[in-house]
Amino acid sequence: MITGTDISFFFDPGSIAVVGASPTPGKPSHIILENLKIIGFKGTTYPVNPKYSYIGDLKCYSSLTEIKDNIDVAIFVIPASKVLETLKEADNLKGAIIVSGGFKEVGDEGRKLEEELKKVIERKGIRVLGPNCLGVYDTISSVDTFFVTGEKVERPKKGGLSILTQSGSFALMIMDEMAKDDIGVARVVSYGNMVDVSESDCLDFLADDVATKVVVLYIESVDDGRKFVDAASRCAKKKPVVAVKVGKRETGVHAARSHTGAVSGRYEIYRAAFKKAGIIEVDGYEGLKDACKVLNSYTPVEGKKVLIITDGGGVGVSMADTCEDMGLEVTGLTEDTRKRLRSKLPVISATGNPIDLTGSVTDEDYVTALEEGFRDGYDLAIVTTLWAPPELTEGLVDKLKGVMEICNKPLIICSPGGKFARRMSKVFEEMGMPVFFTPESAARAAAVLTGCKR
Amino acid sequence: MNKEDAKRLIDEALAVGRQNLLEPEAKVVVSAWGIQVPASVLVKGPEDIAKAEMITPPFVLKVVSPDILHKTEVNGVITGIESKEEVGKALTEMKMHLAQKAPEARIEGFLLEEMAPEGVEVIIGGLNDPQFGPVVMFGIGGIAVELLKDVSFRLAPLDRTEVFDMMKEVKSYPLLTGFRGKEPVDMDELASAIMKLSEIVFEIKEIKELEINPLLVCGNKVMAVDARVILETI
Repeated sequence: MITGTDISFFFDPGSIAVVGASPTPGKPSHIILENLKIIGFKGTTYPVNPKYSYIGDLKCYSSLTEIKDNIDVAIFVIPASKVLETLKEADNLKGAIIVSGGFKEVGDEGRKLEEELKKVIERKGIRVLGPNCLGVYDTISSVDTFFVTGEKVERPKKGGLSILTQSGSFALMIMDEMAKDDIGVARVVSYGNMVDVSESDCLDFLADDVATKVVVLYIESVDDGRKFVDAASRCAKKKPVVAVKVGKRETGVHAARSHTGAVSGRYEIYRAAFKKAGIIEVDGYEGLKDACKVLNSYTPVEGKKVLIITDGGGVGVSMADTCEDMGLEVTGLTEDTRKRLRSKLPVISATGNPIDLTGSVTDEDYVTALEEGFRDGYDLAIVTTLWAPPELTEGLVDKLKGVMEICNKPLIICSPGGKFARRMSKVFEEMGMPVFFTPESAARAAAVLTGCKR
Repeated sequence: MNKEDAKRLIDEALAVGRQNLLEPEAKVVVSAWGIQVPASVLVKGPEDIAKAEMITPPFVLKVVSPDILHKTEVNGVITGIESKEEVGKALTEMKMHLAQKAPEARIEGFLLEEMAPEGVEVIIGGLNDPQFGPVVMFGIGGIAVELLKDVSFRLAPLDRTEVFDMMKEVKSYPLLTGFRGKEPVDMDELASAIMKLSEIVFEIKEIKELEINPLLVCGNKVMAVDARVILETI
């Protein structure tokens, strides 16, 4: 069967075959069968292995050809050397997820095998994710092809974040972190060696996917540069696309015969491509986590003007420094606003940007500072609350939420500290307001919302 | 010469297996797209010195050779030539240096050019990347580019907003806006030159690398003082 360009069936398969299915707990193929059950896959599951007639309560087939129906996705969990022959004899496959390693990532022999694989799937018209990948974790259609137990890597709940990654280990790390931070995901794709389905194909799908609100990319290298830029541009026009690029020190391919050639490493060109596509680039793992957290709650803003409000002078200055470094605009308040603030706030408050409400702050002062400050056209605010001031109460959370709804601007909460601060952060997060624990992390989150590519 | 002539020049160079254009040829290409270059004449020997009357001193004399990529390293550039009479002297001197420092180099002639006025020197470059296609680079001259790699990149084709963003992105941007009481440069003119370079690398895929270094910006004048083109058969 010739499948064509649409790859959406990977994210809504009616049937899944597990080739190399094992009844032995702990084996990757067995874990996949279990995970499909745990997530509540609604389609038909076909274990395939000539050695068994049943695995659990599922009938086990000796080969793919024995299955009379067409199969949307066959997951290959067999040695690389056996993948090709199994694929060749099957005529009822729409797509395959080849989990098996041992292809181009292992050198010349594997590279040859992968070229062979490419020919076979092109001839047969089968679409393939992988090889050397984990496949799909999808909360929308309840599919989980990851061969890692939920005990070791917790699965995030259903949500709007979709993640595309070449690296399987990255997929696992970020999923575990998202689950820990109670951030929901829609589709997670680990696409490995990209013998067929590439990041661009996935971006095309996610661009039109209503369940996906934000796209997160982890990129080592892309397949076809211009195709990637086109797909990412189309996607980024519809929803935020965030990317982290690793392998930054890879040297350029250009001869050093001009300065242009000499200074243009691969990373520089990738950055240019991200900019062209409107992708928000983040730096490293921490940057990506902050981005996921903030985009899970807020949508990007138009400008770069940030208002900083704090009750601690020191942390305020530190926050302003970090924001400037990230490319945000920490512009001062207008004289009119300062006048109004001076008449309403405790006399010792500093009415610049940051607005420092000092240790004599009350919950209501935060509201005043935000309401007045936002009249000066700021795009978003960072509220850095140290919980030390005696008159500050838990009631602040509700008040800030109220202000945020009235002003309709994102409030990024920065709440450094220990037990009490962490307890308060839970309360904030229950109200849908993400909390960041260091000025750097809060500023990074703000930069993501303003599209500053740092 | 127009764009078609420039394209023909590139095709002809590739046809005979050349991998780069000589400076005068590279300048034909950039000027075909409307980037200004200094007035110049090509002199082969003392018999051509009379040609100097067609242009106005002070002059700069530069060696033209397919084998010499970095002219200053072999004393292949003499600046501040004040008169037609001095041209002969400069020519003799340069030939002597070249005989010592680049005895093997094929010499096609010498480019006698009007010296550009003083201004801010920027580098604009373009390349055709095998993966991402045409790319444009911007940097503000000298040490900032070579040592600090203070440059910005964008994929071509570029719109005006992208050009302004890439100029603002480099740390040495204030040098363009009147640093320490200097005259600010005409950003619109500079932006136009970058857009033209972007068009060249976008249109001519055979250009592997194109670099104008320096591009001199003085008030509202923008001039390609030196240009380099590396070619590739596609």
